Amino acid sequence: MSSREVFSVLGIFDSPHVLMKAIPTVRAGVAAKLEAYTPYPVHGLDEALGLRKSPIAGMVLVMGVLGAVAALGLEFWTSGVDYPQVTAGKPCFSWEAFIPIMFEVTVLFAAFTAGLGMLLLLNRLPFFRHPMLMSKSMPLITRDKFVLAVESDECTLDVDDIFGLLQESGAAAVEIVEAPAVQGPSSPKFFIGVLIAIAFSCVVAGCATYWAMKLFPKTVPMAHMLDQPRLNSQQENNFFKDGSGMRMPVDGTVSRSSLPYNLQEQEEAEALVNPLPRTSEVLKQGQRLFNDYCSVCHGIRGDGLLEDGSRTLTPAYEANPANLLSKSIVDLSDGSMYHVLVKGKNLMPSYAPDLTGDERWMALHYVRVLQRAFNATDEDVASAEK
Amino acid sequence: MTEREESTGMIPALGCVVGFAGVALAFFMSGTERFWMNWIIWFLFLLTIGLGCLFIVALEHVVGAKWSVPLRRIPERLSGLILLMIPATLLALFSLPELYPWTRPEILENPMVAGKAVWLNVPFFSIRVVACVVLWSLSYWIFVRRSIRQDKSGDPRYTLRVRRFAPLFMFLFGITLTVVAFDWISSLDPLWYSDIFGVYLFAGTFLAGLAVTTLTILYLKRSGRLPDVKPDHLYNLGGFLFAFIVFWSYIGFAQYLLMWYANIPEEVVWYKERLSGEWGAIILAMALLHFVVPFFILMARDAKRDPRFLSAAAILVLFSHMLDLYWMMYPALGTGGFFGWQELSFAVLFVSAALLWIRRSMNLGADMPVGDPMLREGLEFRL
Repeated sequence: MSSREVFSVLGIFDSPHVLMKAIPTVRAGVAAKLEAYTPYPVHGLDEALGLRKSPIAGMVLVMGVLGAVAALGLEFWTSGVDYPQVTAGKPCFSWEAFIPIMFEVTVLFAAFTAGLGMLLLLNRLPFFRHPMLMSKSMPLITRDKFVLAVESDECTLDVDDIFGLLQESGAAAVEIVEAPAVQGPSSPKFFIGVLIAIAFSCVVAGCATYWAMKLFPKTVPMAHMLDQPRLNSQQENNFFKDGSGMRMPVDGTVSRSSLPYNLQEQEEAEALVNPLPRTSEVLKQGQRLFNDYCSVCHGIRGDGLLEDGSRTLTPAYEANPANLLSKSIVDLSDGSMYHVLVKGKNLMPSYAPDLTGDERWMALHYVRVLQRAFNATDEDVASAEK
Repeated sequence: MTEREESTGMIPALGCVVGFAGVALAFFMSGTERFWMNWIIWFLFLLTIGLGCLFIVALEHVVGAKWSVPLRRIPERLSGLILLMIPATLLALFSLPELYPWTRPEILENPMVAGKAVWLNVPFFSIRVVACVVLWSLSYWIFVRRSIRQDKSGDPRYTLRVRRFAPLFMFLFGITLTVVAFDWISSLDPLWYSDIFGVYLFAGTFLAGLAVTTLTILYLKRSGRLPDVKPDHLYNLGGFLFAFIVFWSYIGFAQYLLMWYANIPEEVVWYKERLSGEWGAIILAMALLHFVVPFFILMARDAKRDPRFLSAAAILVLFSHMLDLYWMMYPALGTGGFFGWQELSFAVLFVSAALLWIRRSMNLGADMPVGDPMLREGLEFRL
C-alpha cells in the first residue's frame, strides 16, 4: 500500500474540539505538512497548525510604495519636465493635483498585489482538480465533519504509520487521497497558454485596428466633438429677431490692439508724427507692405508707372493714381498722408481694414525713402559714394 | 480608594487651582479676545472628545456590534465630558461680540455677510447652542444612565430600545456636529464657507473620542481593572484608529484640493492665511503627527494589539486634534500664533479638570456592562 502515489492522508473528526486536540499529537508524530478542512472557520486553527505568517502584507507594502513612487514619477516627468504646460494658471509641478492619482495608483498596485499575489503566488492557482475535490470526505467537510490532512509534495508518506497516529488521536475515520496523474487541459501550463493566446490576439487585434484607421482615414472613430450642437458662422438662427446667428459688437466697442482714429479732415491730421524709428527692419517691412498694397496702383517706384513707362491703371479705370514722387506729395506732412491711408482720397479706398496703425507708418517711412531716392541731390550722391 | 489613587488625584486638583489662577490673570491682563479664543478652542476640544465617545457608543448600537460590548462602559463614562462642558458652552456665548465679526452691525453692509444674517445672529445662535446641549444631554441620559441601570436589572429591553434610538441619534449627531463646526469655528470668518467642514470636524471628533477611549482602556487594563479585554479587542480599536486617521487626512485634503483647484478668492483666503508663516509650520506638523507617523505606527498587524504602539498613536492623534482646532481658529484673531503662559494656563486648567472629571466618572457603574445580554459573546470575540 505504501508504494502507491499518495497526495495526502485524511483523518476525519466529528467536532472541532477533537480536531484541535489531535493537531499537536499529529504534529509531533510526523514531519509532513499539515492542512485542515472545516465547514466553518475555527478559531486558533492557524496557530495550532503552525502556519507561517503570510508574506502578503510585506508584498502589499512594497508594491503600494512602488505605486506611489511610480505615479508621482510619471506625473513629475510628464507635467513637470517633458511636456510642461500651464493649466488653470497653476505651476507645472503642482503636487496638490498629483495626490489623487498617486493615491489611486497606490491603491491599485496594493489591491492587485493582494488579490493576484494571494491567488497566483501563495495559493498557486490555477489549480484545477485539486486532489481533495476527488476525495470521498469532501461532501462531509461541507456539512459537519472536520478533516486533518497530512500532505506531502514528494509522495513519500508512510501511510500505515499515519493511519495509526490519526486513529490514536481520535479520528472517526481515515482516507487516502491519491495524487493526480493526469496532465491535460486542466494543467497550469495549458491555462497559461490560453492566457498568452488571449494576450497575443489582443495585440493582433489592436495592430489591425490601428492600420485600418491609417488606411481608411475617413473612418472617424469618435466624432462627438465634431457632432456637437452649435451655431456655425453666417448660419441662420431664429433666436434673435433679425434671424442672423452672428451678433455685431456692442456700440463703441474698441479693438484691443489699436486706438480708435477719430479725425475727420486731412488738415486735422497734419500734426501727427510718425512714431516709428527709421531702422532697417522698419524700412524693410515698409517696403514689403508698399509692394504688396500700394505698388498695384502707385507703381513699384511710387510714380504710378510700370517698368515700361505705361500707366499702372488703364484709362478704363477712370482713375489717375498720384505720383508719390511729385513735389505736392513730398511737401505733405506724414500726418496728412496717414489720414489718406485711413480715410482714402478721391478714388483711393481706405486701407484701414488692411493695414494696422504701425503698418501704415512703416509704409509711409518707405514712401519717404522712395521720394528721397528719386529726388536725390548731388550731395546725396557724393555722400553715398563715399 | 488606595493611597496611590489619592495621590494621583492631587496633581489634577492642584493643576485646576493653578490653571484657574492663570486663566483669571489672562482675562484681566492679556485682553479678552485672546481669553475667549483660548476658551472656545479648549471647550471644543473637550466637547468633541465627549461627543466622539457618545458616537462610539451609538455606533455599537446601530451596527449591533458584539466585540465592543465589554469595552462600551469606558466611552459611556467618558461621554460625561459633554455634561462638564455644558457650563463652558453657555459661558462661551459671551465671546460672541468679542470674536465673531458678524455680531458687529457695520459688517452687514457687506452683502455677502448680510445674506447670511438669517442664520448668523445672536438670538438664533444661542437657540442653536441651547438646543444642541439639550439634545446631547438627552442622548447621554438615554444611552448611558439607562445602560448603568441595566447593570443591576439585566433587563434586555434597554438593549432593544436603545437600538431603535441609536439610528435617530446618528441623524441628530450629524446635524448638531455640523452646526458646531459652522457656528463656532467656520463663522469666525463669516465670508468663508466649506460644505465639507462638518465632516472634517466629525473626522477629528471621532478620532479624538477613539484616542481617549483607547488610552483609558489601556490605562485601566494595566491597573488590572479590565482583565478580560483581549488583544483582539485592542486590535479592533487599533483598526478603527488606523482607518479614521486615513479618513481624516482624506477629508482634510479633499477640502483643500477643491479650494486650491477652483481658486475662488473668498475660499482660498482662509487657506492663504493658514498655509503661511507659523500656521504653515503647524499644518506640516499636523500632516506628520495626525497622519504619517501614526499611520506607519499602526500599519503592522501586531502593532494594532500592542499597548505601546496603540498608546503612542492615540497620544499623537489627541495632540494633533488640539493642534487642528488651534490651527483652524486662532488665526482669526489676526495677531499671529502665540503660545505663552496664557495658553499654558488654559491647557493646565482644562486638562486637569477633564482628568478629575474622568477619574470621578470611572466609578460610574461596573467596569463592563454586566447586564448586557451580549456581554458573553463580546468577551468570546476572536479575530
